[in-house]
Amino acid sequence: MDDSTILETRDLNLWYGPKQALLDISIRIPKNTVTALIGPSGCGKSTLLRCFNRMNDLIDSARITGRILFEGDDIYADHTDVYTIREKIGMVFQKPNPFPKSIYENVAYGPRIHGVRRKEVLDDVVETSLKRAALWEEVEDRLHEPALALSGGQQQRLCIARSLAVEPRVILMDEPCSALDPIATAKIEDLIIRLARDYTVVIVTHNMQQAARVSEYTGFMYMGRLVEFDRTQRIFEDPTEELTENYITGRFG
Amino acid sequence: MKREEATAVQSGYPGWPGHSWRGPEAPFARRNRHLTDLIAGKLLFIVAVLAILVVFFIIGFLLRDGYQIVLETGIWNFLGGVDWNPAGSPPSFGILPLIVGTILVTALAMAIAVPLSMATAIYIAEIAGPGTKAVVKPAVELLAGIPSVVYGFFGLILLTDWIRILFDRPSGSSWLAGSILLAIMAIPTITSVAEDALSSVPREFREGSLALGATRWQTIRSVIVPGAVSGISAAVILGMGRAIGETMAVLMVTGNAAVIPDPITNVFSPVRTLTGTLGIEMGEVAFGSLHYHALFGVAVVLLAITLAVNGLSRLIIRRMQRTPARSRAPGPLMQAVHGLIPLSLPHRARRRIIHPKTTQKFAFLLISMGVVIVLAALGVILLEIIVKGAGAISLEFLTAPPSDLGRAGGIFPAIVGTLYLVAGALAVALPLGIATAIYLIEYTADTWLTRGIRAAVDLLNGTPSIVFGLFGFAFLVLFLNFGVSLIAGQITLGLMVLPTIIRTTEESLRAIPKSLREGSYALGASKWQTVWRVVLPPALPGIITGAILSIGRAAGETAPIMFTAAVFSSRYLPSSLFEPVMSLPYHLFILTTSVAGADDQKFGTALVLLMMVLSIYLIAILVRHRYNRATVV
Amino acid sequence: MSKITILFYHPRIIMTGKHLSGVTAVALAGTLMVVLMAAGCLGSQPPGSPASPPQQITATGSTTVLPIAEKAREAFEDLYPSTSVLVSGGGSSVGVRAVGEGTADIGMSSRDLKPEETGMYPGLVTHHIADDAVILIVHPENSIESLTLDQVRGIYNGTYTNWNQVGGPDLDIVVVGRDSASGTREFFAEYVMNKEDFTKNQEEFNSNGGVQQKVSQTPGAIGYVGLGYTDGVKSLKIEVNGAPIEPTLENITSKRYPITRPLYMLTNGEPGGAVKEFLDFIMSEEGQQIVASADYIPVQG
Repeated sequence: MDDSTILETRDLNLWYGPKQALLDISIRIPKNTVTALIGPSGCGKSTLLRCFNRMNDLIDSARITGRILFEGDDIYADHTDVYTIREKIGMVFQKPNPFPKSIYENVAYGPRIHGVRRKEVLDDVVETSLKRAALWEEVEDRLHEPALALSGGQQQRLCIARSLAVEPRVILMDEPCSALDPIATAKIEDLIIRLARDYTVVIVTHNMQQAARVSEYTGFMYMGRLVEFDRTQRIFEDPTEELTENYITGRFG
Repeated sequence: MKREEATAVQSGYPGWPGHSWRGPEAPFARRNRHLTDLIAGKLLFIVAVLAILVVFFIIGFLLRDGYQIVLETGIWNFLGGVDWNPAGSPPSFGILPLIVGTILVTALAMAIAVPLSMATAIYIAEIAGPGTKAVVKPAVELLAGIPSVVYGFFGLILLTDWIRILFDRPSGSSWLAGSILLAIMAIPTITSVAEDALSSVPREFREGSLALGATRWQTIRSVIVPGAVSGISAAVILGMGRAIGETMAVLMVTGNAAVIPDPITNVFSPVRTLTGTLGIEMGEVAFGSLHYHALFGVAVVLLAITLAVNGLSRLIIRRMQRTPARSRAPGPLMQAVHGLIPLSLPHRARRRIIHPKTTQKFAFLLISMGVVIVLAALGVILLEIIVKGAGAISLEFLTAPPSDLGRAGGIFPAIVGTLYLVAGALAVALPLGIATAIYLIEYTADTWLTRGIRAAVDLLNGTPSIVFGLFGFAFLVLFLNFGVSLIAGQITLGLMVLPTIIRTTEESLRAIPKSLREGSYALGASKWQTVWRVVLPPALPGIITGAILSIGRAAGETAPIMFTAAVFSSRYLPSSLFEPVMSLPYHLFILTTSVAGADDQKFGTALVLLMMVLSIYLIAILVRHRYNRATVV
Repeated sequence: MSKITILFYHPRIIMTGKHLSGVTAVALAGTLMVVLMAAGCLGSQPPGSPASPPQQITATGSTTVLPIAEKAREAFEDLYPSTSVLVSGGGSSVGVRAVGEGTADIGMSSRDLKPEETGMYPGLVTHHIADDAVILIVHPENSIESLTLDQVRGIYNGTYTNWNQVGGPDLDIVVVGRDSASGTREFFAEYVMNKEDFTKNQEEFNSNGGVQQKVSQTPGAIGYVGLGYTDGVKSLKIEVNGAPIEPTLENITSKRYPITRPLYMLTNGEPGGAVKEFLDFIMSEEGQQIVASADYIPVQG
């Protein structure tokens, strides 16, 4: 494995009960980039995303074969602590899901559960995370007000800040803008591009223009398979597979 | 991407003062999390299994002390014998009159309660404006809060006399009196469940019918009520369960004569129910005698009937839940709607004799009358007790112990005793109940074990309170040798309210959306951390409401503490958990049934008990109302 | 939440952050209340209430003897503030069982011990503390004045159903009696009914007070109670050999009134300590005056 791959799957298959959702996926996510996963509804892109941080463990009927490697280590190895994996690989969901707590407490939640107690440390983490999520200026004087009072776009940035607070290496985003209006979407897209400087971002989106705008690499999935994976420019301007080209040009999906 | 930026990721944030927050604390917390999860899971499992154990225990103890009667008389003589005469020579233990008594009293009660409840439910769900609704709905729910001994008191002092005078009968203690009281007691249960079912019928059906030109009444009758029929049947069955299990009220007004009315339709005949028999004879029977075993046999029969009624309601509810209203056969509903169309076709002259609007006026009039009757019942009971009881309330009454057999002095030890009993019941039920609910919702999927636990909780929920009293007596007072004591009463009451706590906690936990849990897991939190920090806090209002409702119920119950904790009079408060205690409902019961010449004190005690319980219920209603306004899903 | 949501699974409420402080307040208040009450349970009494004295004796059983025990208790606790007496009813059978099993210090009984009971609890000691009579009572407006014992039996076994069959007004008889564990009923069954069965239409109550209450409200009712329960009702004379005997103190003491019986307090073995003090108190002159003031007959000698 070369130095620039941070996440990798080898021959990954996944079943939900009897139904197979992922077929022989082998993918390499490069470090410090934004990688987009695109494809029509039901192609398995969210499922694949959830494999990376073992969120599929929460589904009883899920079963996988193949390997998933993070920084070269199998994430299902016996010595691996799933909680640590989830610290290092964070996730932002489609519908913003802040806790019914204050803004401060939402961001501080992560460090708290990992053992941090001292107020000065928490204050620092909260401020830094909110700054990195481009939310600090809007909330700095109302940190102790309820998070649910924020607008949709602000809530999503809060969720991003929350994930940042645990110092992940990778941030997985599952259609983070689909519940937001265009202005909020634009803000978050800007944020994603800037985050790629320090983190690796993998984003699932059904919006091809968004994929084209923010990502350096793109993977196209169809019916549980990874059809093509390449630099974004190549995928959109000169795809290798006919299926990819059909999808890009809007012939289906 | 440049090399410098690559290192920045591994060593912390650029701009961060050179270190990340991961200090020596962090790895420690991480190691602990798996351990905590493991321990938490195991502990919760043990507690949850306790619910099943309790049910088996109760059944076991009842059988242990009840099987002897069947050995002695044979099962058919026991169940079918028409002579209940335990003190006769020779004694006979046929419980058929008791079973018949239970059936008759319940049947008439349902006949009275169901139309009135339906009228009230339809009124609240479909007819009342928001202002009226906000008054009528809590009023009906308050009816549910009145303790059964207060109903019995009202029945004995007033209702039986009214019956006697109105119908010119020698005695007012009768089947009719019992059924009227049971009906009033069942109405709130049936009404609230039915109203829920009616409100859940999708708006589209209502709007579709109205758009065809049907009147509101036609819509209600042909579309909405049929659409809610499973919920309504469940409501009726639940009301029936309530009626079957009621002890105190029936034993005070039915006359307790173990006869089958002759002719069978003579509603003025005295009767005796299974529960009444337990209530009136259990405290006085000689331990270990055949009579004693016969009474436990009665308890087993009662439990079996309860099980059957319970099982039936669960079956219906499960069917109702499995077919969400939207997908429920549009067939019958659409047919019903289509059935309305011919009403407006001119050539169907026969159907035009009575204009639909007139029918509606008439129907709404009947409905309003029903609602008025229900509210009037509440009003009469409250008024009588408040007016006659207010005179007895004085500082001495509230702060002094009783004297002269309760005819003088006060009820202070009873007030405090009630508070002690309730506090203890909560101390037992809250931890066990919340833990069981957390286990059921957060830690397991739908396995045979969880289904078993829920079935056990269901059974406990439907068990008559007198059966809890018997169990507490046989197990805590006698077997464990606690004697008649505060702690025996607290544990018995705690077991009685345990199902309510489990249910309300379960429901509150379920209402927390999955996305919150996922958000927590995605940050690396363990299951226990997620439950404790993210799921429980927003579920608190629901849990608190359940706790408050349990307080109200525990404070008003007589049957569970009659044989386990209560003493008739005591100048002093108990100084240890193993002493008996006075309590308000028991005091009212004894004053009403055993002490003549204490009229003021009776009404005063009834008033204090009523005020205590009603204010607790009011708080619960307010808490629920406040948090319902938050977001409703 | 409605009943359906309590009983069945039906999502209704989601919390929003704004109300968290309210929740905390309610939760805090509730916890405080429960903690306070629990603390009260464990020994520290709420201010203003009397502390429970170190010695405690329990007396359980017959509701006929109960008024005597109650009144004696009040006077006794005033004299001996270091002792408290807990009195409860339940019927003579309960009293015998309780004292035999040791769940009460004193068992109160208005009848003799049955052979099974002396067999099961051979150590029981009987203390004859008062005498009682069983009075037949009717509604104050009932014109009937006296009955023979045969007529009483006839009413209670269902032979007579109207008052005009026994010399009273044209009114249906409502038969009222005690439940099957009552000592008074046992006594009545043995001495008046000659062990015949009671009519099945008999309305049963679990205490003397209950019978008294019912009869005082119901014009056609007849009941039997102990001596202390004759307020608000009319006591009937019993005809013996043609002469109506009124249940006066004199007639009862001289046994001219036919339905009299002893009242007992039972202990398991010879009493000691506070129990002995209580029993001695009842047998003392002051105690016997209390017996009389409760409308019972003091024991002679």
